[in-house]
Amino acid sequence: MSDGHLPLAGVRVLDLTDRLGWYTGRLLALLGAEVLRIEDPNKPQEAPLPPAVDVNGRTVSFHEEYAHSGKVISMLDLASEEGSSALADLVESTDVLLSGLDGRAPGGWAEINPGLVHIVITAFGWAHTPHDDEIDDLLILAAGGLLHLGGYPDSGPIVPYGGQSYLAAGIYAASAAMFGLIQVEHEGSGYWADVSAQETMAQALEDSLPGYVLTGKIRPPEGAEGKEAGTGTYACADGYVSMVAGRLGTARAWAALVDWLTSECDEATELVNDEWSDFAYRQTSEANARFRQIFEAFASTRSKETLYLDAQRRMIALSPVSDVSDLLANAQLRHRGFFSEYDHPILHRVVTAPGPPFRFADVELPVLGPAVEIETAAFSDRGST
Amino acid sequence: MSGPLAGIRVLDFCWIGAGALVTKAMGEAGAEIIRVESRSHPDNLRLTPPFRPGTEGLEASGYFASRNPDKKSFALNMSKPEAREIALELASNVDAVTSNFRPGIMEKWGLSYPEIKAVNEDVIYLVMPMQGNDGPHSSFIGFGSTIAALGGLVSLSGEPGRTPVGTGTHYPDHVPNPGHGLVAVLAALFQRAKTGKGQAIELSQFESTVNVIGSAILAGSAGFSVEAVGNRKPGVVPRGTFRTSDDRWVAISCSRDEHWLRLQEEMASDGVDSQNPMTTSSEREARRDEVNEVVAKWVAGLSSEIVAHRLARVGVPSGLVNTSADVLEDPRLAEREFWHTIEHPVIGELPMFRLPFVTAAGRTSMTRPPLLGEHTWEIASEVLGMSSEEYDRLTTAEVLY
Repeated sequence: MSDGHLPLAGVRVLDLTDRLGWYTGRLLALLGAEVLRIEDPNKPQEAPLPPAVDVNGRTVSFHEEYAHSGKVISMLDLASEEGSSALADLVESTDVLLSGLDGRAPGGWAEINPGLVHIVITAFGWAHTPHDDEIDDLLILAAGGLLHLGGYPDSGPIVPYGGQSYLAAGIYAASAAMFGLIQVEHEGSGYWADVSAQETMAQALEDSLPGYVLTGKIRPPEGAEGKEAGTGTYACADGYVSMVAGRLGTARAWAALVDWLTSECDEATELVNDEWSDFAYRQTSEANARFRQIFEAFASTRSKETLYLDAQRRMIALSPVSDVSDLLANAQLRHRGFFSEYDHPILHRVVTAPGPPFRFADVELPVLGPAVEIETAAFSDRGST
Repeated sequence: MSGPLAGIRVLDFCWIGAGALVTKAMGEAGAEIIRVESRSHPDNLRLTPPFRPGTEGLEASGYFASRNPDKKSFALNMSKPEAREIALELASNVDAVTSNFRPGIMEKWGLSYPEIKAVNEDVIYLVMPMQGNDGPHSSFIGFGSTIAALGGLVSLSGEPGRTPVGTGTHYPDHVPNPGHGLVAVLAALFQRAKTGKGQAIELSQFESTVNVIGSAILAGSAGFSVEAVGNRKPGVVPRGTFRTSDDRWVAISCSRDEHWLRLQEEMASDGVDSQNPMTTSSEREARRDEVNEVVAKWVAGLSSEIVAHRLARVGVPSGLVNTSADVLEDPRLAEREFWHTIEHPVIGELPMFRLPFVTAAGRTSMTRPPLLGEHTWEIASEVLGMSSEEYDRLTTAEVLY
């Protein structure tokens, strides 16, 4: 069916983004686009995003390395006349321009390239993001409402790992770029989108938004405890497992869970009592706490891997709380050839990289390595295309 | 419909979480989404709270509603043998077929990629199995929260030494998995517009989720320690969430020394002496707990409104930790028309979230989430050319059900 071409083969992407848009270029490179990132050597250096290490006087930010994988990077002094004219030439010859707060307003390059797809990625939208400060992930999550649902009820909200608002903005900016490419393909005229990282977080509030509107109740953070017996994060012999069993749609899993626990653990026999079959009872704090005691006693002699395999055999949605070493050893990911390796150019160590988030039946997506720096900022020759 | 996907029609078997959000976004961009569902085995979300007090049943869930505007509902009972022919006939009239079941369900219904392709050569076919189509764990089950745990996000998110908490939500269902799925489907639609060729896409929700902790995989595999660090970030002190006198939380992040100096000055105006100047971030980093304690004490004596106002006035990067009530009032979201209130015959008024970007065309109109089977006759007659007699027969036989 397919001629095996990557979906974005022949598409040029010019990347002028700050950290909110870095991940967009990575995704577009995975899909086959040529992504040229321009960095200005005169721009003040931002603190490297974690995780980062200092080795022999050089800083390696794995966040940046990961987000820039698959790109070509070139330096351009954008304040100079040559630099700004070189940039204009690049904008004229690109299909997609990704930019941030220090670039032009959405649509601001239309005169130079009327058919351009211009995606602007900022914390709160172009007109609402203060231009004088970088906006921390923590503050974007706070503004978007997601932060309020996380963390511990006693000690406060905790930002999730990895700069999630930057990645979320990057993903949805990539979708905006795709909408733009489709529209330009059909209509020929240009397209712009003004992406708000805050909005990418505000679409992730699950039932809390309709919950507030329909019942007037503000959903509190659940912490690690979960809100009912059978659902939450539980300690085991070598870490933690995460489980969802017994809420609506998983009633059978609760029966399977009781069956499992009672067949292997005397302390669990009380779970066969009538009250435990009532979902409303399992939602009481008393039941939740008692179940936790029973399950954690059972799990204390079992590894997360054993619990995972045993639970899944019984059709119970339980997963290990994986750390990085668990993931690197994960049988499923290994079977699917998910990881690839490269020799790190600065660290002189072998680094393992995740594979793509999606796969296409007829074409293998490229294995991305660290960005390559080039001297002259230019796209490669795309010949007749 | 208008929008970049105007003219695109999707046969949508997605349900519950991640998949439903892919097609919600496509609907907002102008695609016609034909959602296949049945009373014989309804989407669990249709029965999941929240409900407006006094309402119940398959049409009352606010949770279901929030993920399903801009879609049509076609009632089709896939457990009936006659359903397959109808589904195939629909599949031959669409641009894309989407689903997010475990491997084997679409195959059981005779709707595998080769079978759909046989009636629609250039179809785009998206599946979103939790762990991919093949492999020793491909039949495993999970939810957003367990996928977040399996994928590494949970272990890395929390206070060191405490049980990790992740995001406190089914995050993979809401951002990485629908987001990556959407990007992939759009890339395939773009390629088809250029070449006329279709594509099958597989999104493993596990693998997609690992992609949002990709930096940790790189660092950990190279032998560097990767662990949960709470709200700490190197060089940024103070950084965290602090409780106000009215039991709200304010987030503060002093990424530059001048931010701290402004905060220090503001605290000093209330008589808070932060003792040593601790001008540089490395000085503050060495005494992080002490800095946090001083700030926490100061914030605890002020109301959320006052502390937010004062910090903003002097230019300390900060913000209230918005609740679900606050985000509805947020002026930035309001001005960008991020919320769109629909009127639903059972639920009443309910705000829906839009795509997280605005375009030159502005926000498009939005149609309310469908009642189960609301568009069955419309689609049966207009797309399938079905007679009313046949429609009545199939309805009575609980095929169109």
